[in-house]
Amino acid sequence: MSARASELGILACPSCDLVMRDVGVGDRRCVRCREPLPRATRDHHVHVTALVLAAAILYIPANLMTMMHTEQFPTRRDDTILSGIGFLWHSGSWDLAIIVFIASIVVPLVKLLALVLLTVTARSGSTWRPRARTKLYRALEIAGHWSMLDVFVIVLLTAIVQLGAFAHVEPGPAVIPFAGVVVLTMLASAAFDPRSIWDGSR
Amino acid sequence: MTDPTFQDLPAPAVHRHRRHHPSVIWIVPFVAIVAALTLGIRAYLRIGPAITVTFETADGLEAGKSEVRFKNVPIGKVDRIALAEDRRHIIATLKLTKDAAGLAARDTQFWVERPRIGVGGVTGLSTIVSGAYIGVNAGASNETIESFVGLEHPPGVTTDQRGRRFKLTAREAGSLALHTPIYLHQVAVGWISALELAPDGKRVTAEVFVEHPYEDTVTASTVFWNASGMDVTIDAGGLRIDTQSLATVVAGGLAYGVRDANAPDKVAAAGTTFALYDDRPQAMMRPDVERIPTRMRFPASMRGVAVGAGIDFQGVTIGAVDSLHPGYDATTKAFYTDVDATVFPERLEGAFASLVAEGGASGKTGLDMLQSLVGRGLRAQIRSGNLITGAGYIALAWLPHDKATASVAVADTWTIPTVPGGVDHMQEQVQEIITKIDAIPFDAIGKEVQQTIASVHQSTSAMHDNLFAPDSPIQSSLKTTLEQVQRAAFSLRGLADFLQQHPESLIRGKK
Repeated sequence: MSARASELGILACPSCDLVMRDVGVGDRRCVRCREPLPRATRDHHVHVTALVLAAAILYIPANLMTMMHTEQFPTRRDDTILSGIGFLWHSGSWDLAIIVFIASIVVPLVKLLALVLLTVTARSGSTWRPRARTKLYRALEIAGHWSMLDVFVIVLLTAIVQLGAFAHVEPGPAVIPFAGVVVLTMLASAAFDPRSIWDGSR
Repeated sequence: MTDPTFQDLPAPAVHRHRRHHPSVIWIVPFVAIVAALTLGIRAYLRIGPAITVTFETADGLEAGKSEVRFKNVPIGKVDRIALAEDRRHIIATLKLTKDAAGLAARDTQFWVERPRIGVGGVTGLSTIVSGAYIGVNAGASNETIESFVGLEHPPGVTTDQRGRRFKLTAREAGSLALHTPIYLHQVAVGWISALELAPDGKRVTAEVFVEHPYEDTVTASTVFWNASGMDVTIDAGGLRIDTQSLATVVAGGLAYGVRDANAPDKVAAAGTTFALYDDRPQAMMRPDVERIPTRMRFPASMRGVAVGAGIDFQGVTIGAVDSLHPGYDATTKAFYTDVDATVFPERLEGAFASLVAEGGASGKTGLDMLQSLVGRGLRAQIRSGNLITGAGYIALAWLPHDKATASVAVADTWTIPTVPGGVDHMQEQVQEIITKIDAIPFDAIGKEVQQTIASVHQSTSAMHDNLFAPDSPIQSSLKTTLEQVQRAAFSLRGLADFLQQHPESLIRGKK
């Protein structure tokens, strides 16, 4: 016999592995260690959807607005993420351009799309390649650690390049929505319960 | 559908008091929307108008990089540079910031600030490193437009500078140029803000800008003059060099002042036109109102008298030569020159006034009175004013008129008879002196001098024989004399020794 814990009406505490009955709604805690328990399925889908939506909204200003303001005497320039990559590419640092492009454009976008895919399929109880989707979720978790790269680059540059009148770097207004995208996608992937991938599989 | 076998398992604890509705999470996307909209609206509000400016050349401008600056504050960027359809201009599209939108007024001026080096100074030096930028002079108009024609040079005056503009007309621009300074009592108070040829091409029109707070020093009776270079005056007081400032020696400049500081005056309105005089003495001279045409006929050479040469009366230059007309008299078979000149009798000041007053009683005009001076023996004569350059002038004086040449009378003209000039006289005298010098028998004198030298030579050699031959009588007697002197010296020494030992012998005598 193969059955999922939820089908049997039980759940295990993620911290102390105590098995409990799957009853009650809202802020459920483990009776033994008081660890918060995963939300009820319907709740958690709403949660992830809201976070992904918020991240998708912030993704727009993060890419359209100025990310970095560089003053390198006698020129000054305002760069969005994309124009900064273009500048790196044209100035010969194509390797750096690729790294920044992947870290700042591809990763957040793929994360968003992947989260959308996972939520939509999980909500509709899809039976489409649950294993691949689980792998995708794992990859998402790992990639999430690196997606703040752009913010780190600017923070570092701002701190290092302060040569008074000759050169200085300042973060632009896009930094905040960009950081918001990264944080929200991380929260969304953390809120996503990978077990719901298998909800449709019996 | 809980399986009965799990009935014994504990139920999870539920913190009901911290329970919240699951839809609370929708606050997060809501906040995200608000934040994104805020950022978007703020960015949208900062987008100012895009305007186009045409320039002759895009030299130094870079699309996306060159800035638009007003009072050195960046107010926009050059977005795009394109060729105009006629290919004679370039069209620069400028994106202004929102707060600079009002600067796109109808009378706003745009120009490209590049490094410019002139004698008046160096401007736009910073653009050497930063690259050219577009300078803006804000207009006052309320109407905003989208396309402008750019200036090729920065405007002489920006609208926010306080002061007043005046117009000057001059015959020649000389060393005047844009930004040439204007001095009042050798203090720079303004500059030339525009310089152009009058439409007829005969005169130069300069627009000068006098800065606040000096604009009120320009009055209705102000005279402007060219203070370029320096004035060197040599007079009884010695050598005097006048310049406005060292810079004007090199770069030129204008100066102004009033002829009579005590005369009543009123402040000149903006845009008043003044004449620009060539130098200070000319500017300070009273304007000549009354002009009397004058004609003189000279049979002699007019060398040294050119158009503009002065007419001197009692040391006062009262007029100038206008033209010279060579002529030939068939009856006397002689060449002559008619000189047309203009006399400004007012330069004689009180003297002329008295003359007119004297004639006024009998209904005679000033010209009549001047003509009457001729009857009293006034004659014209060419004199040399400068022995080095040979420049001459015409002197009016009471001269012996036995050799006077009558001038042909012309209506309404003062005709003055002439007498041969001092130059001609001097030439004659010099000729006489040369003839006399010629008459001196230099050859004979030379021979005599030679003979004298020979005899002197003879006597010196005879003297040499007498004095220095070993057997000459002078030699032997000289020897004897010397011996006697020697002996006298010996006895003197004996006396001196004795006196040293027996000084009392001076009183008591030798024992």
